[in-house]
Amino acid sequence: MGDVILTMKGIDKSFPGVHALDHVDLELRKGEVHALMGENGAGKSTLMKVLTGIYHKDSGTITYEGREVEFSNPREAQDAGIVIVHQELNMLGHLTVAQNIFIGREYMKGKLIDDKKMNEEARKLFDQLGIDIDPTETMSRLTVGKQQMCEIAKAISHEAKVIVFDEPSAALTEAEIEELFKIIRDLRNKQMGIIYISHRMDEIKVITDRVTVMRDGGYVGTLITKDCTKDDIINMMVGRVIYEDPKTESAVAKDAPVVLKVEHLNAGRMVKDVSFELRKGEILGFSGLMGAGRTETMRALFGADPKQSGDIYVNGEKIEIRTPQDAVQHGIGYLSEDRKRYGIVVDKSVAENSTMASLENYMKGMFIDKKKENDVAQKYVELLRTKTPGVDQLVVNLSGGNQQKVVIAKWLVRNCDILIFDEPTRGIDVGAKSEIYQLMNELVEEGKSIIMVSSEMTEILRMSDRIVVMCEGRKTGELGIEEATQERIMHAATLRE
Amino acid sequence: MEKIKQNAIVKKIGFNRLVLIGVWILLYILFAILTPVMKPNTSFVSYSRILSIMQYACFMGFLSLGVTFVIATGGIDFSIGPVMFCAALMGGYQLTSRGWPLAACLLICVLVGTAFGILNGLLVTYGGLPSFITSMASMMIAKGVGSVFTKTQSVSWPQSTAPGGWYRNLLSIKAGGVDLPIGLLILFAGAAICAVILNKTKAGRYILCIGSNREAVRLSGVNTKKWETLAYILCGMLAGLAAIFYVAKNTTVQPGLGDTFNNDAIAGCVMGGTSMAGGSASIGGTLIGVLIIALLQEGILAMGYQSHYQYIITGIIVLVVVYVDLRGRRRRN
Repeated sequence: MGDVILTMKGIDKSFPGVHALDHVDLELRKGEVHALMGENGAGKSTLMKVLTGIYHKDSGTITYEGREVEFSNPREAQDAGIVIVHQELNMLGHLTVAQNIFIGREYMKGKLIDDKKMNEEARKLFDQLGIDIDPTETMSRLTVGKQQMCEIAKAISHEAKVIVFDEPSAALTEAEIEELFKIIRDLRNKQMGIIYISHRMDEIKVITDRVTVMRDGGYVGTLITKDCTKDDIINMMVGRVIYEDPKTESAVAKDAPVVLKVEHLNAGRMVKDVSFELRKGEILGFSGLMGAGRTETMRALFGADPKQSGDIYVNGEKIEIRTPQDAVQHGIGYLSEDRKRYGIVVDKSVAENSTMASLENYMKGMFIDKKKENDVAQKYVELLRTKTPGVDQLVVNLSGGNQQKVVIAKWLVRNCDILIFDEPTRGIDVGAKSEIYQLMNELVEEGKSIIMVSSEMTEILRMSDRIVVMCEGRKTGELGIEEATQERIMHAATLRE
Repeated sequence: MEKIKQNAIVKKIGFNRLVLIGVWILLYILFAILTPVMKPNTSFVSYSRILSIMQYACFMGFLSLGVTFVIATGGIDFSIGPVMFCAALMGGYQLTSRGWPLAACLLICVLVGTAFGILNGLLVTYGGLPSFITSMASMMIAKGVGSVFTKTQSVSWPQSTAPGGWYRNLLSIKAGGVDLPIGLLILFAGAAICAVILNKTKAGRYILCIGSNREAVRLSGVNTKKWETLAYILCGMLAGLAAIFYVAKNTTVQPGLGDTFNNDAIAGCVMGGTSMAGGSASIGGTLIGVLIIALLQEGILAMGYQSHYQYIITGIIVLVVVYVDLRGRRRRN
């Protein structure tokens, strides 16, 4: 490791209602691969956005190559030599590799684009990196791994001195990861500073020199990778004090009837051989890091996305779910993580949204029985304590928490016994959050059963009776609430197969 | 202003629709003043002109009502004009060249329209094709089918006095020397049924909700494809009905035409407050929108200009209305 190239000190950043970064420090040396780790929402991405000028820090200093800098946009950071290789590739599929690399700064011959020159320059870049890619190939025909290489080549062509890799390996195969690591080592030997964001513990051990851990927007500490164990890092990631009391024991009997059984579910690239059981009156937590395939599992189970294989049993009976219609028919309701897109129809009323899944029960002959509809909507407004001036209020005018209650009402009106709550408290303020928790507890007491997908460790430990942990599309752990700890969950959540 | 908007009667009819009625009256007065100026010795204020406006509004009205359902789902149908012509050609050919009974030929009109509606609907929902492209294609197919069916000859439906000419009574009946616009009454009745479908039935509820947020409706366990297809079928069926009122007014149908009516029908619908983005629609608004279009058409002809001027004005109106709708939407988000 060489001299310090980048220092971020005491970086502080607040958004309305959230203290996203709380005096975070980060030091990067030349010729170093520096891991940045933390749970979902720990503030890694926010920190990188502050570095590259997408966000502006409230306080703190950034020192780069010996002088204090503050970039006002990513372009300035790029010109100074700091680039990010994003997890989602920003490539234009229909252009060639070379055209993508030089986009926005094309080589010109008079008024025309000089493709020949761009191809030559791209080839030089690839040779330098030791990658075998044809610059004239159309981007969309490359594998994700190769596309990633192009993204790296693009970064280097900006004469980068610091490269940030944001979860680069998430979509890569083993072989591609090997190639990626070879390139990263090359870059390190060329005295570049590399920040490597990843959830994969094994990779961190293999490729990085130091690890900085963040938790809940704060700086936890920096370790030399070879001197620490996986457990050390996990302990730093999760070692928070939990203010709300976690559940210590489950009220659900061990032999309560199984209402939903999923066996060997496979769907797309994100759901691999997932099996689990949901018992009556139980809240089954689904934990895991971002991209673990939890939402995908739920969508496949609900029939929202196609599945390749897998058996589903409701109350012991094998059922076929191809569309959400099938799922709803069998009493399964799904509360999406993206409420506005998948949960509610914002420019329709509370009443209309409440009966969305069960309109056939609110008809008088051919016509909608408006009175009956309003009555049932009103009943659930009172039951769920939804704050709305009336049932004919448009849902768009309600707060996030109350919108969520309208979605819950929709499934209760349909009388669903199995409820899938996908990130039920995302984007909801603290007060409404505890109301939703209370509501969930009331629901299971009445004999409903809930699957709760959550990325918040505290939520998982507070609400669940049992916890299923997923990592990269597989179920990697199952814990009763009595045995569950943050460390054990995080262990399973970073367990690669 | 706010006070007026809160008035019970205004609320019942809808503020925007009242504005449109105001626009209609203003335009009428404008034409009444301008027509004698532009073309001496011509008057705009006469019963025959009103009747002519009503007759134009009749078939346009059915087209516009139909496309309102499709636009409410967030889709679009550019095939309605040519489908109307195709229906009129096929029905008329069977009537005049093959001697089929009138009732059967009127039924053919409706069936042809419905068939195109089913085709569009299935392709858009189950086939997953964009409605813009699908309806463009079926527009061409409709033109072609109509032409081929009549061997590229125009078709003239019988005159009122000729045998099989009673269908013209559907548009207007002479009683005591006065033409009564029966067609307009039928249109209003049709509009009332459409309004009930849109606002009071499951189909209408789901059509509007699909226009707002298709995925949310699908994930509520609703068969969105079925209801969306239904919107296209209603649209096609109404285009078939429009064909009857078109021939009742004009009797003669040319093959290979009809696309200009798409624009008028969609313009009427959009002017009436149906959002091109889907999710909100007003049958009453569509009706008034169509009456404005019909008034424009008659007024411009009365002043001695060709109908091409009407296209310019309609085009500008559509741009303004869609722009205002979009701006309102952005502000709300």
